[in-house]
Amino acid sequence: MEIKQTAIDGTLESSDIQITVSQGTAGVQIELTSDVAERFGTQIKATIAQIANDFQLENVKIKAVDQGALDCVIKARTITAIQRALQTSAEPAWEVL
Amino acid sequence: MNPEIRALNLQAEDSKRQWEDFLIGLGIQDFSDTEVSQLDQTLGLFSDGQLVATGSAAGNILKYVAVNHTDLESAGYFNRVVSALLTNLSQRGIFHVLVYTKPQYSLSFQRVGFQEIVHSETAAFLETGDTSISDYLAKLPHDSSGQAGAIVMNANPFTLGHRFLVEQAATQCDRVYVFVVSTNRSLFSAKERLDLVRAGTADLKNVIVVPGADYLVSYATFPAYFLSATTDKIVYQTTIDALIFKERIAPEIGIATRFLGTEPQSKTTDTYNQVLQRVLPPAVRVTVLPRKTAPDGQVISARVVRYAIKNDMIKSVQAIVPVSTYTFLNNHLEELQQRIKKGMKIDGN
Repeated sequence: MEIKQTAIDGTLESSDIQITVSQGTAGVQIELTSDVAERFGTQIKATIAQIANDFQLENVKIKAVDQGALDCVIKARTITAIQRALQTSAEPAWEVL
Repeated sequence: MNPEIRALNLQAEDSKRQWEDFLIGLGIQDFSDTEVSQLDQTLGLFSDGQLVATGSAAGNILKYVAVNHTDLESAGYFNRVVSALLTNLSQRGIFHVLVYTKPQYSLSFQRVGFQEIVHSETAAFLETGDTSISDYLAKLPHDSSGQAGAIVMNANPFTLGHRFLVEQAATQCDRVYVFVVSTNRSLFSAKERLDLVRAGTADLKNVIVVPGADYLVSYATFPAYFLSATTDKIVYQTTIDALIFKERIAPEIGIATRFLGTEPQSKTTDTYNQVLQRVLPPAVRVTVLPRKTAPDGQVISARVVRYAIKNDMIKSVQAIVPVSTYTFLNNHLEELQQRIKKGMKIDGN
């Protein structure tokens, strides 16, 4: 699937994560800012990468600014941002959920 | 109670006073109309009715971000205000956001995903979003052979004076990058100016014309170029602009020399030239070129062309613009005059 526009979801508040999805040219690129990047960075990126993979995104830039979000929050924010970027927010993504 | 975010209406006298008092308490003093009137939105965070944090945006630039840091919750307040501003901007389709701040606050912005582009002793310049200076640099045509030179111009519009600078630089370097200002606050739009520079230099094979984007003489790096400002302010803004050129752009594409035109008429540009001469060497050499004079002995100036448009006498400037610019003037005269009638200033840069 191709990213149609830049989209954002989430906030910078405690326990949340802000995800910005935009067009990429070099595969799935994930840039993470997090105070807990050292301990959980790999896991957070893996969660996001899995969802990008479920949506069959080939080229995408995902910027994640984490404030200590739980895994379920990371998933929800990533799915919403990707759907907005694909302009498919109105259609539930059953294969991803 | 969870603090509440509200839009502040700076048109309302008491809101504005509350906002100013809060900022003055945190050491922010500049509430000149030229600054404040640029703000598209201002948010306030209130805890028990007290203003505890605020932030504003002008275009894609965050301004007047301030938090009462005696409060234990100050980090959370900062994040909430920045977050709300970014969300509002994203709803208007703005995803690339820049901020000028004091160096001591750079880290706070970095913790919410901003990346520092450069910093000076007095200011830091950061960005976040779906594009970055790395993307911009990657898109510039790269060529590692020989020595490169650079010129930055607004070219509003491109004249034979600009052409003369480019020609001089092109004889002194193996290739010349011409960066055209991208900010849309001039009589000629960014695209028109870029196209006219391309058309007017198309025959010069070692000249590469590129947009300056948000990074060179933009409304973000150097607002004083577009708004009136004190010399102090011009110096610190141009220092950041010069540092971006020196530390980020020049090394990436091998620029050894920056060419400037002498500036007898504009104080702002003259101050900018002085700052460039102080900041760039020795990494980048600065060469000042004399300006070309018209047959009548006057220095060629784009301002003269703009006045000729206004006064409906473009024939008088035929001798000081390239054919491509002159053709454009003829084809778009009415439209350009309309823009001036609608209030577009033609006196500045």
